[in-house]
Parts: sequence; structure tokens; C-alpha cells
Amino acid sequence: MRAIWDIFCHVVDNFGDIGVTWRLAQQLASEYDFDVHLWVSDMSAFRRICPQAETASSLPLTQQGVKVYHWTDDNIPVRAADVVIEAFACQLPKPYIALMAQKSPAPLWLNLEYLSAEDWVEGCHGLPSPQPDKLEKYFFFPGFTAQTGGLIREHNLICRRQQFQQSPHAINTFLHQLGVSPAPDAMLISLFAYENKALASWLDSLASASRPTHVLVPEGRILADVANWLEVPALATGDHFSRGALDIQVLPFISQSDYDRLLWSCDFNAVRGEDSFVRAQWAGRPFIWHIYQQENDTHLEKLDAFLHRYTQGLPAEVAEPLRALWQAWNSEGNMGENWHTLLAQWPHLISHAEEWCGKQQKVTNLAKSLAQFYQIRV
Amino acid sequence: MKTAQEMKPNSVALIDGQPWLVLKAEYTKSGRNTAIMKMKLRNLLTGSTTETVYKFDDKLEQVTLDKVDVTYSYYSEPNYVFVDEEYNQYELNKDDIESVLPFIVDGMTDTCEAVFFEGKVISVDLPTTIVRQIDYTEGSARGDTSGKVMKPAKLSNGTEVKVADFCEIGDWIEIDTRTGEYKSRAKAPV
Repeated sequence: MRAIWDIFCHVVDNFGDIGVTWRLAQQLASEYDFDVHLWVSDMSAFRRICPQAETASSLPLTQQGVKVYHWTDDNIPVRAADVVIEAFACQLPKPYIALMAQKSPAPLWLNLEYLSAEDWVEGCHGLPSPQPDKLEKYFFFPGFTAQTGGLIREHNLICRRQQFQQSPHAINTFLHQLGVSPAPDAMLISLFAYENKALASWLDSLASASRPTHVLVPEGRILADVANWLEVPALATGDHFSRGALDIQVLPFISQSDYDRLLWSCDFNAVRGEDSFVRAQWAGRPFIWHIYQQENDTHLEKLDAFLHRYTQGLPAEVAEPLRALWQAWNSEGNMGENWHTLLAQWPHLISHAEEWCGKQQKVTNLAKSLAQFYQIRV
Repeated sequence: MKTAQEMKPNSVALIDGQPWLVLKAEYTKSGRNTAIMKMKLRNLLTGSTTETVYKFDDKLEQVTLDKVDVTYSYYSEPNYVFVDEEYNQYELNKDDIESVLPFIVDGMTDTCEAVFFEGKVISVDLPTTIVRQIDYTEGSARGDTSGKVMKPAKLSNGTEVKVADFCEIGDWIEIDTRTGEYKSRAKAPV
């Protein structure tokens, strides 16, 4: 009998919660043959990242082998699953915990934590968190080393990505579907970020550069800053503006698979949060990360922890401007000078992005480590 | 009930009817303004130890413990011996006092608190601030007088503490026992 997995996703803000849990749910269902039920607090967020669900009217939706439920106070599972994941420390409903306590054997209860590159993660990954009624919860940390749960990476992802990137026809066809026709010598950049005051200095720099740049902006929180820089009241899907050497084009909010292809198509990707941050690494292209801002600048420590890992092996003349650019992007700094310095090191950056991807590919992926964690305890 | 982040070393949490002594508690900021508490616990009934993680706001039932003022007397392998005002002796091994062990030195006069669970001594608390003498440190490298530049120093029991660059061998310093950090230079205890 297939093991039942309930994954609870409380959508707090943005699309990170649902982005991560939806990818994970699909992989657990398709590659490990688990009966996966995804409980989502905000179905509109789910429908945005899974447009195929737009047309489905009845719940639960069955998408990619995953049953997707709207999680409300009145709508929770009527039985406890074999494996229960509370994503990003969301609070499980008390009646559901009571069901878990009645189940024999007790379910495997996992708190899937946030991604961090900090060293302490290894010491906390997989540790128990004893709960009342003999229930034992475990903390499960994604991460960048073998002592963590790894990153979400579907079977054949890198192979599919490489095949796509080796086919100019595939790239052009995809971009054409999005209505994108960059100049042949243009650098193509995707821009997905939170509100960011550092953007203006970067766009200034791109507009005044000798090489043309084409920036693709999927709908999202950065649009208002782009509009400010363009000195237009607002932006909408399909808008296209030119300023000097810079073209800016607004894209619709696209599905996860199309977003992957967008990352694969671009020369440089600006990403944010957790889900797109991981996908940019699998794209094997240079990127910049806008990290989720936290109180007391905690996010800057987490940014440094990742940079420390990512820049290992890079010569100082590449690592330093890269670090400076990322810090400027996350601290409202000036991007222009750092960007130009980094452009001079571009071949290094390209090869390093692919090397990093290869290095991370050797670490087990998150779905596999979850499945193994479960199998060991069955 | 206490939140996990309120649990400190020497607190005892009742988890599923079992009393667990907190040996270590580390607060770490996780994602999106949340945090976790990693704790090393010892079961007071079985003696087994375990490492656990809780969300910072998880609720834990805290057991109120009896406490008696004691002073450190001597070490008699494998136990550290403390005495109260009535010269009752309490013996604790290094695992019992893991969190304060770095600050136990011969001749210390601090008034400590012996902690009891169901009549049995289980650990010792030190005062929040203690005064210790520097046994060894390198000379001032940069002539800094601000106290912002730090260097390593050793206490007589070998414990290493980061102290202000201007501190010298033989100086007395205040240490925060919650963090193990140097606070300031101090006068010799009388």
C-alpha cells in the first residue's frame, strides 16, 4: 500500500511557501510513488504557480499526481497520514494532531525548515523535537552539504536544462512564446526581486553600457521600482520600454516549469527568497540573490554564509566584486561600479556557475533524503 | 508553561511525563523572523542525554526546582563537591555541571545555587556575573584602549575567554556566565 503524505503549506506571503511545497509534492508523488496530499491555505497562490489548476472547479484538485486541498479551519484531513510535513514551521491544526496521536504506528512528523547556508544547520538537521502524546517530530533542513537534507532537484533536471541550453531553437521558441525578441548581441537578464532601492543604480548602469541588455521582469513586487525608474505610473504585462542600451519587458506571472526555462534562457538571473534562488543555481548561469529581509539584519548573515560557500575556489578578483554586488543588492547600495567590475570577469562567472551546479548535484536532493528518512523509520 | 526560548541551562522541562534537565540551550535565527532552540537535555530519571530542536515559541511545561545556596569546596574525582551553610556536601559530576564547568576554579568564593529535583541535587547555577583572574594572555598587540579589540586569555583552569586587548596577566575580569563573554576589568575579590 502506498504511504500517504500530508504536506501542510500555510501561505504567509509571496510564493516561496507554495513554490517549494508544490515542487516537493510533485517530486514525492512522481519519483517515489507516495500518495501525496498538499494542504494549502491560499488556493489563489497555488493557482498562480499552477495555471493548469485555473480551470478546475472542484476540490481536491489532482495535479501531477498530487491531491491539492484548500486547508481551512473547517477543512482538514479526516485521518492522519503516514508522513506529515509542516512546511516552514507552520502550525498544524490541533484536531489533526489529536488524530496523529491516535494513529498506530504514529506518523512520521517533520518540520521542513527554511533553507540556510549557515554552519549550524548541519548540527540541527534531523534532530527530534519530542511532543506531547508520545509524538516525535523531527526538524528537517534543506541545505548545501551532505549533512543536510539537500535541495529540491527533480530527476533529470540538469540533463533537461543542458539539452535546452544547447538548443538555440528551443530557447528562441520559448522566448518567442513569451513575446520576447532580444537583439542578437543583447545580454538577457531575468529580474525577480522584492522592492529594491538598489535597482535604479543597476538600471542606470545597464542603460549607459555599450552592450545592449534586455531585462525580462515577470510580474511581481519589483515592478513598482522598475516603473519609478522608467518614470511611468505603472507597468503591466506586455509593456516594453527602451532607455539607452537597455530594453525592459514585463512578462506575465509564469508557471514553475516556464520559469525554469526563463532562467535557463537568460545570461544572468536576479532571483529572490528560496524557490527561485534554488532554481537559479540549477540553471548553471550567473545570478544574484535578493534575500528575504529579516529583523536586525539577520538576513545579511545568511547572505554572507551562502556567499562564503559559493565563492570558494573563485579567485579574489572575481569573488570580491561578486560579493560586493550581492551585498549592494541587499543593502540598497550602488550596483553600477560593481556590475562593471564583474562584467570584466564574466567568463569566470559562467564557468563557476556551472561548477557550482555540478558540486550541488553531488549532494542528495531533498525529496530523496525525505524518502530515505521515512524508509529508515518504517 | 514556558516557551522554548525561555528555557535556560538548568531549567527542567516535563516532556511526556519525563523530567528533562536543560544542559545547553542555543537560540538560532531561522527564516522569516522565526527562530529555533537547539537543546541538549538529560533525563533526570534515566540519565540518558539527547539533542533536540524546538521552535522558539513551542510551549514546554517547566518544573519548578528547589534551590539552596552553596559554595564550591573541592574536586574529588570524579565529583565536584559543593557545601551549604550547614556544611552539607553535595557531589556533582562534570556532566551535571557541564554548562558552568568552564568557570569552576579552585578557591572560587561565588555563592552558587544547588538545584534539586525530588530531593536530589542535579546541578549548580553560578551567579550571572563572576570575577576571575587571567592566568595567561599575550601582551597588547595594538595598544588599543577602547576595549573593542579583543584577544584570547586563559583562566587558571584552562578556560579560554576573549578579553579586551589591554588586559594583562594577573588582571581580574568580570564574565557573564550566561554567554561566557568578558564584560570588563574588575577589582580583585576580597
